[in-house]
Amino acid sequence: MQKVIDFLIRKKDFFVFFILLIISFLLIFNSSFFHKSKVIVFSNGIANMTKENIKNFNSYFELKKLNTKLVEENLSLRNMLENASDNYTLDSLTNATFQYKNARVISNNLSSLKNQLVLDIGTSNGIDKEMGVISQNGIVGIINNSSLNYSSVMSVLNLNTKINAKIKRSSHFGTLEWNGVSTRHLILNDIAETADIKVGDSIITGGMSLIFPEGIDVGVVSKIINQNKFRDTLHKLNIEKNRIKYSDFIGNYLNIEVRLHTDMSSINNVYVIKSLNREEFKTISK
Amino acid sequence: MDRIYFLVIKRFVFFILLQGLVFNNFDLFGMYDPLIYLTFILTFPTKINKITFMSISFIFGLTLDLFSNSLGFNAAACLTIAFSRSYIMAFIFGSFFDPVGLKLIRNYISESSFSQKFLYMISMILIHHFFLFSIESLSFKYIFLVTQKTLMTSLLTIIFCYASILFMISNEK
Repeated sequence: MQKVIDFLIRKKDFFVFFILLIISFLLIFNSSFFHKSKVIVFSNGIANMTKENIKNFNSYFELKKLNTKLVEENLSLRNMLENASDNYTLDSLTNATFQYKNARVISNNLSSLKNQLVLDIGTSNGIDKEMGVISQNGIVGIINNSSLNYSSVMSVLNLNTKINAKIKRSSHFGTLEWNGVSTRHLILNDIAETADIKVGDSIITGGMSLIFPEGIDVGVVSKIINQNKFRDTLHKLNIEKNRIKYSDFIGNYLNIEVRLHTDMSSINNVYVIKSLNREEFKTISK
Repeated sequence: MDRIYFLVIKRFVFFILLQGLVFNNFDLFGMYDPLIYLTFILTFPTKINKITFMSISFIFGLTLDLFSNSLGFNAAACLTIAFSRSYIMAFIFGSFFDPVGLKLIRNYISESSFSQKFLYMISMILIHHFFLFSIESLSFKYIFLVTQKTLMTSLLTIIFCYASILFMISNEK
């Protein structure tokens, strides 16, 4: 026993290090622990309040830019209203499936590999997990946590984010992901090779889930990268040994680089999308 | 001893606010922030014993996490670098390193050669950044991305840390 105690005392630095490291890994992996620990919720509130005050102060300097943005948005909405014909009734008026709520971005970071934003509305405003967030130009992210007055958003610039999207012209579906290289570009995966895609095509959300409604702008195709599926190529080579064409070396799926419409570094006001049919959708998809 | 803890608390608050409110919005090329808060750990008084040092670094990282919306990442990275600091110092400063802690950081800076100082900074910073970005990505798939990010951010951090150490060191007791 004495030897064990001696050992513990001799290696006490290491044990303290180990225990603290386990605590930090618990915080990283276990999000329910994050919600339960009141100390962290409280101190997070203080940090957010500080950031909100700083943001309030800074927002005075951005008023001019903000005004221009709002005028632009107003203009585009007016144009849409003008173009809508008289007998066309908006779907959202008669049978609303999505509801919009405005929010302000308190903090936003771009330097991490898993970037997050903080909004100034929380569960007291009816915000919950898995709601989409858009800005006036396009998608911003998905809400992944919310406290009483604040909620954190998984930005599209996050290695974990996967968003269903499609090409506006040809309706080919794919998955939007970030590869961590540039803050202005996303990668659209899993588009069939046969799809006719050109640089400059618009990408919109697909509407396969109830997070984003169909048809919200994402960006434009800036580059087409062909993904070489090595296994498929080998398979083809075995079948037709004599006839090897150039096209055999090109895989079945395309990777497409998409340039975002939203400039993630300058977003102030965003809209949170609340789906009204979510509960119903969940019971069916179980 | 009280004065030294007062100094630590002063630096704690200063670097949290500096990193959380100023340098987190730096965004060079859209995505690289210098992590200037490492100065706090690099120049932490050697007098204070290791367990206190590790605990303070852990709380420091945790506070910083609240400002950068990432729970636990900075805490784990700061803790690791605090744990390995004495080993790195013993390795780089050699016989000049004093494990009891009578030498001040100022002595290490004024009495060691430039290559020693530079190696100390660069090894601490590289270990910290690599650890931070690898637990952030949590996958071997992104190993190239993590390396690229580590190198770019380290470059920025070294410049800013070197400058801030020159300012900080004059008031060490």
